[in-house]
Amino acid sequence: MTSSGDIRSGVRFNVREFTRTARGNHRDELHLDEFASAPLSDESLHAVRYLGRLESATMEHLRNLLVTATHKDARVTAFLVTWAFEKFWIADALDAVLEANGQPRAQAIEEGRTRTAHADARDRRGPIRRAVSAIRQGVPIIAVHMTTGLIDEWITRTAYERLSAVSKSPALAATIQLILDVKERHARFFDDEARRRLSESPRAVKLTRTELLHAVWPIGAVDRADSDRSFFERFVFGGSEGADRAALIGTRVAALPGMDARIGSTVAQRLLP
Amino acid sequence: MAFDVDKYTATSVSVNWDDLDLEKFRTEPLNETSLRTLRYMTDVEYHTVCYTRDLLTTPSHKEADMSAFMTMWNREEFWHGEALATVLGIHGVTVDFDELKANRLKLGWKDRLDPIKQSVLGKIVGNDFVAVHMAWGAANEWSAIQAYNRMAELEQDPVLAELLKRIAKQEARHVAFYTSQARDRLAKSKKAQVIARLALGKFWAPVGSSIMERSEVVHVMNHLMSGPEGRKAARKIDAAISGLPGLEGLKIVEDSLDKLGIAA
Repeated sequence: MTSSGDIRSGVRFNVREFTRTARGNHRDELHLDEFASAPLSDESLHAVRYLGRLESATMEHLRNLLVTATHKDARVTAFLVTWAFEKFWIADALDAVLEANGQPRAQAIEEGRTRTAHADARDRRGPIRRAVSAIRQGVPIIAVHMTTGLIDEWITRTAYERLSAVSKSPALAATIQLILDVKERHARFFDDEARRRLSESPRAVKLTRTELLHAVWPIGAVDRADSDRSFFERFVFGGSEGADRAALIGTRVAALPGMDARIGSTVAQRLLP
Repeated sequence: MAFDVDKYTATSVSVNWDDLDLEKFRTEPLNETSLRTLRYMTDVEYHTVCYTRDLLTTPSHKEADMSAFMTMWNREEFWHGEALATVLGIHGVTVDFDELKANRLKLGWKDRLDPIKQSVLGKIVGNDFVAVHMAWGAANEWSAIQAYNRMAELEQDPVLAELLKRIAKQEARHVAFYTSQARDRLAKSKKAQVIARLALGKFWAPVGSSIMERSEVVHVMNHLMSGPEGRKAARKIDAAISGLPGLEGLKIVEDSLDKLGIAA
């Protein structure tokens, strides 16, 4: 795993520069014709489809963020507008891979039933309950959103790297590299914001600790199909090597300001099948 | 005609002003009245993402086309803010993210309750409420186009007029999306028509009313929408809105001008 989260230049992330250099349509760079002679396995296609669904769920996620004080921070919202744009085109690149392998787009087929586990209840809160509790939480909630955004980047990066290794497809590996390049800046922004806000506010730490003890991963998974989630957990975090990957993420979580081994191992535990 | 979302996303770009000689405003600055109006427009454009929030708390975010449109729409509006902020910057008026944040923090309780109110309404009437949002969005985008056109007419400045024309051209694509959505959804549901008519008639106010001080709203409406020419522009928006199914005869823009005491 590359440690984009550890890049600490001391210079605040430049949101304006990010918005000006946003990366859109990738279709011309995807080596799609290579899939005709070397199609992806069913397992790899399943992972591509699920990652596509996660990447395209930005509006569902924005809804949960914007009903809170997060919408008041114009720097954060400027970032999120461009972040959603870049993720839209990441999902489009994944759709292009699916189509080149004779599959429909990720959102064109019905998703299965969502999971009804009690442990997911907190993440299934709708916008009304989120908006109500946000009135009490105020500005420190932004730290929660930045930290969960960062951890989500670590998790999806791990998934993309796993997919790249498992698929043994140079064409897919090239696409994934491109996607990870785009996502590197997202992780850097969340990293910057999360560390700064957690260091400055004990209340932000408290809210974030509570959230991480209950969070469901990756972000938005509660709205996805149970079968896709189980597949993802096995594919990325199954077996002893998978457990190591989860533990590594847990260690990084534990090292964030105000977090500790208990929080880290809870996050790691919740990634496992 | 149905709106082609794939084509829209593929051709969505941030508005460009590199080739425009905005520097000339250093020697030929815009007047105070116009700068104040531009500042209002800038805030409204930057604020779009918060308006998205209200759309997103209803079922509309679950549809792929709607999500795709809103992603691009948000970004285009953000860039309108950037373009207008550049013009203001040349006049020595700084609009950076921290300033915008300070403005948003002033919003207080009303703003906090808005998403709750919206989602409660959204839950009650379900998909019909998406139709209302689409009609509301169309009214706002029509207003934006008229506002930019009026500003260009009043200023008679070729550089500003060109920039505003480019912005208005993007707003026209937003109108196309909102109207095609509103038309289809309203046509399918009598209930949606009744709710849309009620919501627009009772609650609609000029774009920016919920985020700017009343004095600023009055300033902008006086500047752009007063007098016979202003009224003519207002009537154009009303005529467009009342062309939607079930909204015949609505005069929400003229009514709101009267309420604000803007002279005809």
